[in-house]
Formats: sequence, C-alpha cells, structure tokens
Amino acid sequence: MGGITVEGVARAFGDVHAVRDASFSVEPGHVAGLIGPNGAGKTTLLLMLATLLAPDAGTIRIAGHDPVAEPRAVRERIGWMPDALGSWPSLTVRDALATSARMYGLTRDAASARAAELIDLVDLAPLADRPTRVLSRGQKQRLSLARALVHDPDVLLLDEPASGLDPAARASLRELVRRLAGEGKTLLVSSHVLAELEEMADTAVYLAGGVTAAADAVARAGRSARQWRVRSLDPLRLDEALTAAGFGAVARIDNLGAVVPLSSEADAAQLLAHLVGVGVPVSSFAPAVGDLEHVFLDLNRAGPPPAAPGSDAATPFGDSGPAAPGEARA
Amino acid sequence: MSGFLGGMWLIVTLDLKQRVRGVAWYVLLGVFVLLVTIVTALLVLATNAWDDGGGGVFSTIVFFVLLLGTLVSPALSGNAINGERDAGTLATTQVTLISTAQLVVGKWVAAWLTALTFLAASLPFLVFAVALGQVSAATIAISVLVLALELGIIAAIGVGLSGLLTRPLFSVTVTYLVVAALSVGTLIGFGLGGAAIQTTVRQTYIGVDWRELEEEGNPPVGERPPCLPPEVREYPTPRLDLVWGFLAANPYVVVADAAPGSFDEFGSPRDLFGWIAVGVRSAQHAPDTDAVIDECADWRPSGEWVSPDTQTPREIYERSVPSWFVGLAVHALLGAGALAWAWSRTRVPAKRLPAGSRVA
Repeated sequence: MGGITVEGVARAFGDVHAVRDASFSVEPGHVAGLIGPNGAGKTTLLLMLATLLAPDAGTIRIAGHDPVAEPRAVRERIGWMPDALGSWPSLTVRDALATSARMYGLTRDAASARAAELIDLVDLAPLADRPTRVLSRGQKQRLSLARALVHDPDVLLLDEPASGLDPAARASLRELVRRLAGEGKTLLVSSHVLAELEEMADTAVYLAGGVTAAADAVARAGRSARQWRVRSLDPLRLDEALTAAGFGAVARIDNLGAVVPLSSEADAAQLLAHLVGVGVPVSSFAPAVGDLEHVFLDLNRAGPPPAAPGSDAATPFGDSGPAAPGEARA
Repeated sequence: MSGFLGGMWLIVTLDLKQRVRGVAWYVLLGVFVLLVTIVTALLVLATNAWDDGGGGVFSTIVFFVLLLGTLVSPALSGNAINGERDAGTLATTQVTLISTAQLVVGKWVAAWLTALTFLAASLPFLVFAVALGQVSAATIAISVLVLALELGIIAAIGVGLSGLLTRPLFSVTVTYLVVAALSVGTLIGFGLGGAAIQTTVRQTYIGVDWRELEEEGNPPVGERPPCLPPEVREYPTPRLDLVWGFLAANPYVVVADAAPGSFDEFGSPRDLFGWIAVGVRSAQHAPDTDAVIDECADWRPSGEWVSPDTQTPREIYERSVPSWFVGLAVHALLGAGALAWAWSRTRVPAKRLPAGSRVA
C-alpha cells in the first residue's frame, strides 16, 4: 500500500508550537494541496514526512512505514523538494543530479543515465554542463524538482514547487504533477498560491496555526456563503436589477460589474435565472474566488487557533528565502 | 551504494570535487609551498646544513609543516557540516540513503585528505633535508606518519565542531582555539602548573676540607681526605613530574617524541626532536628531594674527577615513558569524541534542535 497517513502529529520548537495537531491522509494516485498561511507549519509538517524531524506526538505512515522507526524504508520511497534551494554550487547540473542518484544507490552508469533523463524532463538541457551556481531561482527550482524524482519515488513531497517559475514552467510542472499522479504516485504539494494548486490538486489539506481543518469544517466552509462575480454588458441595468431583487444592500458594484454574496449554488442558479429573465445582458456569472481559496479564506475567518507568535529560537522552517547564490566555498 | 564505505566515499569525492573547483584551495597551497621554500632556504644557510647532516633542517621543516598544517586545517574542516546546512545541501543529502555516520566520516576523510595534500607538497623539502645525509629512514617515516595523524585529528576536531556549532565562522574560530590550546595552552599549563605545585628540596653538601690536606694534596692520614661538616641547603623546585601530561598533549611534542631518538657518542641528541624528547621525558621524573652531594667521598688521590652518577640525555630518554603515545591517544580521543558528538547532533529525524538552527 502507498499513500500518506498522518494522525495527531505535533511538533514544537522550544515554546513555538509549529504543528499542533495535524491529521490527514492522501491516497495513491492523488495530488493533495497543503494549504495554509505563512507560518502555518507547512514546512515543518513536510520535514517530518521527509524523515528529517521527529514528531513530538502522533503517528506518520508513508507507504506503510514510520519515518522515525524506519527512516531508510521511507527515504527509498519519498522524493522531497525543499523550500530552501540548496545545490552544490561548483558542480554542474548533470553532476549534481548524478551524485544525488548515486546517493540512492544507483550505479555510476545508471546514475548518469537517470540524470540525462531528468535534465530533459525539467527542460534544463542548455544548462546541463554549467555549474549550478549560475542557475536562476526558477532554474534551481527545476533542478530541485529533478533531484526529488531521481530515484523514481512513490511519494512526492513538494514544498512550494511553483515559486519562481515562469508561466511556461508552471504549466509543465502542472502537467508533470498530474502525470505522476496518473502513474499512481502520491503527491503532497504545499503552496500559498491557491490558483496554482487549484489546477493540480484534487484534494486539499488545510493547515492553519499548526492544526489541520477537520473534514466537516472543510465541507461546511465549502457550502458557506461565497462571493459571485456578475458581469453585464449594461452595468446600470445590472445594478437596478440587483437592487430590485433585494441585493442592493449586500452587493458590491465596481467597474468590473458586481460581487454578490450567495449562500449556495442553488441560490446562484436562481439569481442568474432571475437576472436573465428580467433582461439583464449577463456576460459572466462565476464564483469570485476558486474553491480552495474560498474554503481557505472561510476557515481562516472562522478563527482557527491563533498561530503561535514567531520567535527567533529554533526556526527549522523559514520563509526567509533561499541561501544567497554563489556563496564562497573553499 | 554498496555498504558503508561506498556511501562514505561518495561524500568524500563530492567534497573534494567541490574543493578542487574552487580557487581558494590552490591559493593556500601555493602560499604554503612558497613559505616552506623560504624557510628551508634560510635554514640551510643559517645552520650550515651541508656539514652537519641536515638533522636540524629536517626536524625544523617538520615542525614548520605542522605549524602551517594546524593553521590551514581548521579553515578546511571547520565549516564542513554547518556550511552545508547554510548552503541548503545538508538536508537534501540526509533524505537520501546516505546515513549520518557516512556523511560525518566522509566529511572528515575529505578534510583530512585535503590537509594531507599540504603534507605531500612539503615532502620534496623533507626529502631534500634527508638527502643532506644523516637522518635515518625510520625518523623520516615516523615523523611524516605522526604528522599525518595529527592533521587527521585536527580535521576530526574541525568537522566535529562544525556539526556541533551552528555558525561556520564560530566553529572555525573554535577549532583554531582548540589548536591554540593544544599548541600553546599546553605549554602554559605545564609551566604554570609546575610553578604552582612546588616542593622543597633538601640538599646536603659534604666538601673536602682542603686546608687539612698536605701540600701535595694527599690526605694526612690513610686514604680518605678530611671532610667538612655537611652543609644543608633548602630551596623550592617545581614539580614538573606532576604536570608533564600537559606537555605530552602538545602536538609538537608528540611529533618530536615519536621520532626514534638518535644520539651521538656522548649520549646527546643529534636533532631538535631529540632535545625536545629528552626535555619532556626528564620532566617525568620527580625531583630528588633529599639530595646528597658528597664531594668528599668522590675524592681520589690522583685528583681525577669522578663524576657523580649524573645521567646522559640518552639515559634519561631510555628510562622514561614515551610520552607521544599518551599525547596521540589523548588527541585521538578528542577527535573521535568530536566526530561522535557531531554525529549525534546531526542525526535525523531530529528530536531536539539547538537554538537558532534549522534542519533545512
């Protein structure tokens, strides 16, 4: 069996409770988005899944193995793409990938074959023989993704994989992620760019203040009132029609049209029918924000346990950015 | 990766590959060779080495290489682990099948091999000293071997500290301080310790009463000369025998003492190593707190001087414990301890993180 199962996991650094109570599971063949605001504990959670941090409490199973008790078994099966982009600065892209492959026990020949394959996959061929320190952030991000895939793992943990990527690279990342899921791999992708996740994730884990949202809370948030954007060829008529229909007090009119809060999809269908019925030329009628964002904002509004205040003591996760490129190494 | 060694060697080659592609290492090596060249040239001119067989030149060059080696080695090893952590490459290695032990040992071997290149670069100069003549092959082999071990121990301390301390600058500095403590601190400890623990020596002197002798210098009665009443003198003396362990832990002493002693026909050492070894070993012996100098008993009618049973340096050397063994063992423990501690701190999944550090 594959997949990720997390139950009641907690981890503190001194008196900073980065993760308080995380429970979720991801089945093989699925892409789960790990969603949460900055400092929600996403990276800490991923470090625990990647066998780098031991949880204080709770259990983790990756493809049926415990990262604390059997780290080796887990490491064989996971590919981890960290948020901090480290690379051996003086090695070439090809050497760096081949070295990583050899760290997973591949022979020299198999490792260089695999490196060549991955260079094509992440589209770094023109840079394959340049030292990694010359890579831009987006290129490093792709190298990092290639390294996570180097031993063809069953479970992929991607921490902010899309940050720094240009639109074309984002599109190919999306495609790659969906294809890997199609091959039966389990993917957990963290991001706070929700539109990005919306397109690749088929399930979501919401994390705020170190606590994952319970399934019923997510379902409730999904059903809760949300904003719908309505556009019309004739904004004045739209405004009048909304006021006549009793939305005058709650609708927000701006130069793009109107934003109307509606409590359910049924209400939305009804309003649309009404507007069309009274002759408003509606050109667009859609949720103002994506599903993930809606749930995320709603859960945040519902007041999760307050995020622990930041502290300078032990910060194993950081949004402080990557190490400066080209650091001096003797 | 087949077994422990395969994975460890991968880390070693990765580390070395990165070093040889940097410029810093070549610059250091160049400066090093230049300095050794200058020192050798000056030594040859200063000591008249063409005539005395090169023993002095050899031992001084070995010391100079040790000095430079201990100055360079911390810089090469002191950021091995925390530097990787800063660069963000430690965690990506630790999620692979490379174990923490392979990582730490690999880093150490790489730092050691790098330091050994400095020793290798100085070998031509040692060979030159040997070519001058009288240095025995055993002395050369053992000096170079012990020098290599000392460099390995400093590399181990540097790598160990780089795993213990979070900031590379701090761990490099602390490694330098450890080297300074071993090289200079042990001398201070030895001197101050010996001076602080003093004991009183009671020396009794019995002289010949020359005025009672006849004009030819014969005793008036029988064979024995008339003696003066014993004079007793008391003075404090440092108990170096209680603190010689400090000196044994000095890397220079280790190198000097490990070389097989070579002595001339009067029992005096031939090279710098020998003198240091004799000095260190004579410190092992407790001072004679109740010394009797009986000149009267040693008197001979012929007037010949019978030396009281003082020892030649060679005799002192031979009846003492070889201190290099103790010193090297202390150093090895220090290095192994540092590596083991670094290993336990770097192990993942991490349970406790030192303040201010991060896993990735």
